[in-house]
Amino acid sequence: MAAVDQPEDGQDVPADHHADESRPVPLGLRARISLSFAVGGLLVSVVVAGATLVLTRRQLIDSRESAAAAVAVSNATRLSNQLTHDASIEDLPAIADSLTKIEGFQRLIRLGDTWLPAPELGQEDLPPLLLQQLSDRVAGQQRASLSGQPHLVVGIPLAAFDADYFAVVDLADVDDTLGNLQIVLFGASIFATIIAAVFGAWVSQRTLRPLRRVRSAAEAIAGGRLDTRLEPQSDPDLDRLADSFNEMARALEERILRDARFASDVSHELRSPLTTLKASVGVLEARREELSDRSQTALTLLSDDLDRFTRLVVDLLEISGYDAGAAALDLSEVQVSQFLTATTRGTGPVPIHMPGHAGDLVITADKRRLARLISNLLENANRYGDGATSIIVDEDGAGIRIAVEDSGPGIPEEERAAIFERFSRGSSGGRRGGGDSGTGLGLSLVIEDVRLHGGRVWVEDRPDGKPGARFVVELPTAAESQL
Amino acid sequence: MMGTSILIVEDDERIRTAVRLVLEEEGYHVDETESGEAALDVFAPSPSDVVLIDIMLPGIDGFEVCRRIRRLSDVPIIMVTARDDSHDIVAGLEAGADDYLSKPFDPKVLSARIRALLRRARPSEAAHSHLVVDQLELVADEGTVRVAGQEVHLTHTEFRLLVEMASSPNKVFSREDLLAAVWDYDYLGDGRLVDVHVRRLRTKIEADPANPRYVMTVRGMGYKLQT
Repeated sequence: MAAVDQPEDGQDVPADHHADESRPVPLGLRARISLSFAVGGLLVSVVVAGATLVLTRRQLIDSRESAAAAVAVSNATRLSNQLTHDASIEDLPAIADSLTKIEGFQRLIRLGDTWLPAPELGQEDLPPLLLQQLSDRVAGQQRASLSGQPHLVVGIPLAAFDADYFAVVDLADVDDTLGNLQIVLFGASIFATIIAAVFGAWVSQRTLRPLRRVRSAAEAIAGGRLDTRLEPQSDPDLDRLADSFNEMARALEERILRDARFASDVSHELRSPLTTLKASVGVLEARREELSDRSQTALTLLSDDLDRFTRLVVDLLEISGYDAGAAALDLSEVQVSQFLTATTRGTGPVPIHMPGHAGDLVITADKRRLARLISNLLENANRYGDGATSIIVDEDGAGIRIAVEDSGPGIPEEERAAIFERFSRGSSGGRRGGGDSGTGLGLSLVIEDVRLHGGRVWVEDRPDGKPGARFVVELPTAAESQL
Repeated sequence: MMGTSILIVEDDERIRTAVRLVLEEEGYHVDETESGEAALDVFAPSPSDVVLIDIMLPGIDGFEVCRRIRRLSDVPIIMVTARDDSHDIVAGLEAGADDYLSKPFDPKVLSARIRALLRRARPSEAAHSHLVVDQLELVADEGTVRVAGQEVHLTHTEFRLLVEMASSPNKVFSREDLLAAVWDYDYLGDGRLVDVHVRRLRTKIEADPANPRYVMTVRGMGYKLQT
């Protein structure tokens, strides 16, 4: 009902606004799809990253351990070969120096009760459990934290001597590698999550594109273009949706057109008997003096209600023309002041105020519809507003405004939209004006006529503060823009 | 008014009777027929002064009846439509009707229409009752129009339209001016009456109706008779 928009004074807007704020806004389908993709991406990347970390760690440490063990075994064998039974602790460094050295690899050697320590380690740093095991002459290896760093300690007893060979391998670089890997995997997970979200957004947009088409089609139908249909879709699921939608639209169109046709047919069928009635009543009116008082009263009733009924049928025909979308403008140049003078002739004189420069204002409009529009407003003023007090014309570059003012009680704010509805007579409207001869369609025809001209109509208080209503019709100066 | 005869062509007997009563009340002599064929049978031997034709008729339709009567006579014809359809109205006027009424019409309006169509052609200014423009010669008092010396048959309404414009050659007449002068309509009358009658007038007096020499359109304003 864009055409009945009241001037924006924002009286009843805040209530709605608050309601909106307190209600949690549900996520849209697109946001939900994107979010699901993001969560999925995050989960997958976390699982992959975790598995990668665990496997890599195991792999790295295993290979490190087996390498260390191999070197330790080979060194222990060589040590055993070079060692003599009378060798003392002093001989050991020379032998030890000849053994294979690799980075992060230290060795300790026990000979009898004496130890050859490593540069940074002594026998007290070795895990006691391993020492215990070695004292049983069994080789072993154990991970241990030495000076806060992870290390692998391999102990091998030299079978022929009362001696043990210990290799201590620093595992810190493995941890460094794993740490770096962790950072990389974390970054990759974040990246994968973002990519998944973006992909989700794209997918949802693609998936919802047909839905957007459905939406525009639905809006077109709501806007009155009843013949709007969806094109067949390539996807079988969507095609079914399109079929159902089209089926619904077709049924709707058929039904609306059938209703409109029914109203039109009924009105047409009423034209013939009404013609007979009007002609017959006309004959009686011509011979009114020959009738008794009682018959004259009856004739007046008959005549008045026949006029009202005729107007109802004519208005219904017009409305059904609008409903069937058959209404078309028959545009011509309309000289506004002459036009208003001619239009008000039938309803009694109403002062017309034209701005000085608009004395010979000419607009392009459908003269018949415009005349009906103005006389409907004048009649409305007669019926509910004690008669129109003035017609005020106002014009600017965008359009022309014709205001009809009355001196009635005015129309309460909350009824201003409803009075334009069919067969609506505001609570204050129905009770006044005794012999109500309205059809209840006048103002709804006004709104249709105005809309067809591409204009709008609204009702407001009189600007001079006196009681009364002011109906304003605003028409674009170039009405042909509608056709 | 006595002696003026009106022919009603209407298939609905009740409407026919009621309209006859109205017109007889006004003092007209009324003939009724229920079909186009019957109407032509009645009209041909004794032409009426005004014909009222319903568009929707069994057999030949109202448009065709109108065209056939036009071949016989310049009598004023009023079309009665059951629809406000613009096509019907324009088609009726182009078939030769002088005016139209939509059902249900007010009997007072019907009487007013008939009176307006029966008014004698009287130019607003008698000074131009005889006018010669190029090949066109108009003698208002005799009711004759000649183009290149040949008499042209105009209907009553076409003739009055021409006489009205001839009363002030080169003056622009708005549709409303012409509606008031020729049809006795106020400002709210239907401008299509003027447009279609000008079109019909041109086909009769102009050598090339698409490029008129005499009756000129003044865009956005109206028509004028150009000398």
